Amino acid sequence: MKILTASTSISYAKILPGLCAIVLGLTVVLGLGFLQDSNNYLHNAAHDGRHSAAFPCH
Amino acid sequence: MADFRKLVAISLMAGLLGRLLLSVLQHYQTLPLILAAEQFETPSTEHVHDWQPIDGWQRNGFTLLFNGLTGFGFALLISASMYWRDQRGYLYGLGWGLAGFLVFFVAPSLGLPPELPGSDRAELHSRQAWWLFTAAATAIGLFGLILAKQRWLQIVGASLLALPHLIGAPHPEVAQTLAPEALQQHFVVLTSINNGIFWLALGAIAGRLMRKVTFA
Ligand SMILES: [Zn+2]
Repeated sequence: MKILTASTSISYAKILPGLCAIVLGLTVVLGLGFLQDSNNYLHNAAHDGRHSAAFPCH
Repeated sequence: MADFRKLVAISLMAGLLGRLLLSVLQHYQTLPLILAAEQFETPSTEHVHDWQPIDGWQRNGFTLLFNGLTGFGFALLISASMYWRDQRGYLYGLGWGLAGFLVFFVAPSLGLPPELPGSDRAELHSRQAWWLFTAAATAIGLFGLILAKQRWLQIVGASLLALPHLIGAPHPEVAQTLAPEALQQHFVVLTSINNGIFWLALGAIAGRLMRKVTFA
């Protein structure tokens, strides 16, 4: 069973596993890269990594 | 969801291997620059009570953890993209790695260059918002430009690539850096090279690992 998108086709069965991987990946990356906690614990731990990856840090 | 577990396994391996490589490069190249720049920072009295990792193994350990986890996250994006398009092998992986480098490093850095601690910048939330908007617009733009077959979608894609840079990144009214300009430029060059190497390695490793599994 295939659906046609703009240029390609993805079988229905592959939508969910891929989407879960994308959501998990974005959550991990954006959480570590962007969250600012009021105590600055997360910021201070992630500081060097954020600067080295060109995330806006502080 | 057996496929999801396979994607996670591939991404764990690729992310850790790719980030291990990056961490070694960083340890000898960019981290000494961050430490050097901090010498120019005036200690801010308001944050004096905040916990922060002790310089040395603890500080490096957290950076390693940050690198490993974000590497895992980036690898999930690459392996899921290849999974959807039925691609495997390191050559496809290199292509996706290059795309990731453009989306998550090159495009945001054009407006907000990697900065050493102690640089004076516009307010954090506006920079974060511009960064996220730029990454999203670049991802969708690249998708339209390269993968779409219709002319008008390609034009929309190209416009999306340009849009964040036409709007422009937020900058402080008076730009000022505490660290010497040469140190800052050195940092931009080294982070660009390191992140480029990381993304290409991550793509290649993830692509190669995609060959090791069969999906449902
Ligand atoms: Zn910071």
